Amino acid sequence: MGDERGVEEVHDLDPREFFERVHSFESWFHSVEGYLTGTEYGHRPRLGERPLPPAERERLITVLCNYCVGETAALEGASGLVGFAPNRPTKVFLSTQVVDEGRHLEVLLHRLGELGVVDPEAEVERRANPAIREFRRRLLELVASKDWEAALFAQNVVLEAMEFTVFQSHARSADPVTAEVLAGIVKDERRHIGFGENELGRRLRESPHRRARLSEVKRDLDALVLDTFEETLRELGLPASERPDLGRTYLAAVARLGFGR
Amino acid sequence: MSDPIAREDAEEAPRRRFELDDQGFDEVPAKYRRFYRHWKGPGDALGANEVVCPVCKIVIRSTRELRSGDRLYCMACMTRLRVREGEAGRLEADCEY
Repeated sequence: MGDERGVEEVHDLDPREFFERVHSFESWFHSVEGYLTGTEYGHRPRLGERPLPPAERERLITVLCNYCVGETAALEGASGLVGFAPNRPTKVFLSTQVVDEGRHLEVLLHRLGELGVVDPEAEVERRANPAIREFRRRLLELVASKDWEAALFAQNVVLEAMEFTVFQSHARSADPVTAEVLAGIVKDERRHIGFGENELGRRLRESPHRRARLSEVKRDLDALVLDTFEETLRELGLPASERPDLGRTYLAAVARLGFGR
Repeated sequence: MSDPIAREDAEEAPRRRFELDDQGFDEVPAKYRRFYRHWKGPGDALGANEVVCPVCKIVIRSTRELRSGDRLYCMACMTRLRVREGEAGRLEADCEY
């Protein structure tokens, strides 16, 4: 099927072959090199830094601190999930997600440093929203209890879907450096939300009774993430009319999986 | 695109073929890039060989005109999809888990 220059028709792949390829480290590597080559800490090195007015800088720092907690939760969650993922392709994919989440945390902390924060990790501790901290705690409880579907739902559907929407929206209004850092993260998030939805879709198809358990998790957790990111959008100063429907990506995903609101 | 193409017979008009160019979608390995492009929003006119991925909202492209029942893959979000005709006659895609 084709060479390095191109394939005849990707959609002719056998479903099993497609599954293997997209879960592979090889595919991940050739995907991220397309948009990370030439960047340093998530953005082009000589991208012009626009000095921000003090109030705007303060708001951006607070927002980035909240993002850091979300990314830390995903890093810890994904690395824990590797240990009890049900098969080799999901373990390998999650290993690539661990790398992605580690990169996200690193570039966001570095961005805080570029904005003049002397001790970024202490600043995250000082400023982060209690709701996202609580979400992190609950996610790690699900991981510790080896509840595969619930932990994956919390992390790759609830958290990632909302990050996907907020980061895209923020990137459109952010300064050029922050925008480029966020745009790179969004490209990774596409894989994460797809992995979560597809893996859960397969599990629910085989065992529909698991839907009740996930409904409980959804009831328990989605407000925590929604509250955090609603606050983020307010911090960014976007008028209500210009804010994205935060729940849109998330609600569409859960509807496809067969959940009502 | 599996079965529907295999079943295509003389009663159906032959499918148009499309040369795909790389439109700068850099989120999949280089050899697959021409099969995808970014969606530009509601005003973005889709070709007869294109549908929007319902999961990650990129445009999936084929070398062939698409028809209801065709199988597609979104490599950006790892989703297998099945094409169907939407309410307005526009082609849409559903996830196949």
